[in-house]
Amino acid sequence: IPGVSSGCQGGCLTCSDYNGCLSCKPRLFIFLERNGMRQIGVCLPSCPSGFYGTRSPDRNTCTKCRPECDSCFNKNLCMRCRAGYYLHLGKCQESCPESLVCSDTQRECVPKCPV
Amino acid sequence: MLCVLTVLCWSWAVLGYGYGLQKDSSRAGLCPSPCQCEEDGIFVLADCSELGLTAVPANLSHLTTYLRISGNQLRYISGLALHGLHNLKVLMLQNNQLERLPNDIPWNLPNLLSLRLDANLLSEVPARSLGGLRSLRHLWLDDNSLTEIPVSALDSLPALQAMTLALNHITHIPDHAFSNLSSLVVLHLHNNQIQTMGERCFQGLLSLETLDLNYNNLPEFPTAIRTLAKLQELGFHNNNIRAIPERAFMGNRQLQTIHFYENPIQSVGRSAFQFLPKLHTLSLNGATQIRDFPDLKGTTSLETLELSHNQIEDLPSFYHCSALQEIGLQYNNIRRIERNTFQQLSSLRSLVFIIILYITEIPPSLYRDLSENSLTSLPVGGLGGLTHLKLKGNMELYEDFSPELFTRMRVVEMPYAYQCCVYGSCDSYKSISQLETEQSSEEEELDQRTVALYPIHTDTLYDPDLEDLQMELQESKLQTNIQCSPVPGPFRPCDSL
Amino acid sequence: ALRAVIKVTLLKNEPTGKPITLEGLFVGGSAGSAEGKLMQSHPLSLCNTSEDERQESDFISIVKLESPERKVPQCLPLLHKARLALERGAQAVIFDVTDDVNAKFQLPESDSLLRPVVLMQAADAEMLMELVNRNEEARVRIDIKREDPKWPHYD
Repeated sequence: IPGVSSGCQGGCLTCSDYNGCLSCKPRLFIFLERNGMRQIGVCLPSCPSGFYGTRSPDRNTCTKCRPECDSCFNKNLCMRCRAGYYLHLGKCQESCPESLVCSDTQRECVPKCPV
Repeated sequence: MLCVLTVLCWSWAVLGYGYGLQKDSSRAGLCPSPCQCEEDGIFVLADCSELGLTAVPANLSHLTTYLRISGNQLRYISGLALHGLHNLKVLMLQNNQLERLPNDIPWNLPNLLSLRLDANLLSEVPARSLGGLRSLRHLWLDDNSLTEIPVSALDSLPALQAMTLALNHITHIPDHAFSNLSSLVVLHLHNNQIQTMGERCFQGLLSLETLDLNYNNLPEFPTAIRTLAKLQELGFHNNNIRAIPERAFMGNRQLQTIHFYENPIQSVGRSAFQFLPKLHTLSLNGATQIRDFPDLKGTTSLETLELSHNQIEDLPSFYHCSALQEIGLQYNNIRRIERNTFQQLSSLRSLVFIIILYITEIPPSLYRDLSENSLTSLPVGGLGGLTHLKLKGNMELYEDFSPELFTRMRVVEMPYAYQCCVYGSCDSYKSISQLETEQSSEEEELDQRTVALYPIHTDTLYDPDLEDLQMELQESKLQTNIQCSPVPGPFRPCDSL
Repeated sequence: ALRAVIKVTLLKNEPTGKPITLEGLFVGGSAGSAEGKLMQSHPLSLCNTSEDERQESDFISIVKLESPERKVPQCLPLLHKARLALERGAQAVIFDVTDDVNAKFQLPESDSLLRPVVLMQAADAEMLMELVNRNEEARVRIDIKREDPKWPHYD
């Protein structure tokens, strides 16, 4: 049928036209990619930015980080915040504690420059 | 000339080089083939993944801050292979075939923050192999072949905030395994074969908030967690733990979630779940020997309490449990409920959208054994916000409950049909067909009234205003339309037998 | 079980376009009306571990269930998946059970489904999935099908 993309791509172990990848080859992550009203499975070596990977014996999955976090280790520990937020001990905050200052380039709370 | 000198000095200062930055005639020279690179200001992001490489590309720029070599066939990376990458912050080596790490000349990456070594073939992490990574915050070692915690190697990572050692073959956690990791916030150890733990194995983890021990072989409750004062999320589901001791979580006042399903838990200390002011979910299904309701003193934020499939006989007063929204008590031996049992559940009225109170859903197979265990009365004080009430099987409960008591009720299951008469038009005996014809004529009248007000083309010109009106009428109709069973009918009269 | 009438209008044809009318079966206890934009959910997106982005406007999830031979990890019973989809904001959930005819047995009468859950199969389901496959955005309206009583009065 013209216009119907086959959901099966490299890295898939099993797949179907409507759902794309249903399971991945070992050590790959299944990522549920949303494209308009469609949501199909794709298999990746690591999760895309904004998602973190969780490995388990039967399936490696990608889960979304918190909204204020661009890249995270898991739901509770961010590695790089979104613009306007500053990283402190793995959390994204809109301001920094007293002893630190907000660095917009690193999006982190960093020590004050010695006077 | 002055301007050039200034730039050189500035670069020297920023990049901490012992010699001047070679003047790169072309940016392309910063990206070794066959990698692909992006610029990030003066720095370089290099992607050399999935290229079938067996060695780290040569001529990597010293300005590289992000290096991805995942999905290749690397077996070993010497200390020299990454020499000079002083600006490197992220190194991704997952999905290779690394068997060992350099110990004699370790990698010298003083600014590295994230190191991915997951999905490789590492069976050990030598003591000095991580010695040059003093700024490291995030370490992935999951899905390797480690048989023990790399205690010595971890000693050189004072800045570590998150680590996963999941999906390895670790069987024991020794005392002081993580003693130098005072900044560690997240530790994943799931899917190993951990059987034994030193009593002081978590000593030193002053910042730990998440500990994942799921899918291991722990035969006993991990009492070593007592030292984790900042723990918020604890998982030890899918283990072999039979009992949760008294005061099990006395050292973990910050706990919000505890997952321990899929354990053959038989007994739970009555004080096990005391003083957990931030715990919002407690599920104790199927702990077959729980006879007494757990003492929840000081555990005041519970929203969901699941206690089905136990042997509880009496319910205490939920005195401090004002946040409770859902209680599951089915398949117990509850015979009597005191008048003030649910009195304190103030949030039940305001917050609840579903409060399902199964008291006696007794499966037929168990009916004879529990025949003497059934309710004779139900105090309704505090239950005004119920939307579902299941009392089926309480064959000694004869009273009915007027709808005014439950303003939000939607589904009721009573032992006898006559108890549903207060919820339907049961002023005199009516056959089912009469009830149905009455109901359908009501709907036709509704449609006509709607049609009269808003003439619509039969062929569904989609008119949102009309639809909203119908939705509202439908909603208001639903509010009064309580589903009560068993439905009174020709063989289930309304008058009490 | 009550039958569902599903009216599908392509967004590009609104507001004048004639809707396509399809049918399905309500899961017991969930019959009712619902309306929203059609959005596909991958069967694995309805597991505790995964999370679908919150959709802004009202949406109706459609899930194509694969045949058991494909061994798609179950992760949650179907009833829980339906409940999870509703908790994530779906106005209703449609399961295409064409390739998993036993799915209906996993969806018994339940009072915990706050909004409609509909099973569809064969031509009706395929019509809907083809729209999804072509990413043709559509609006769906679900109502209870009015049945003429099958048996005469008896007293």
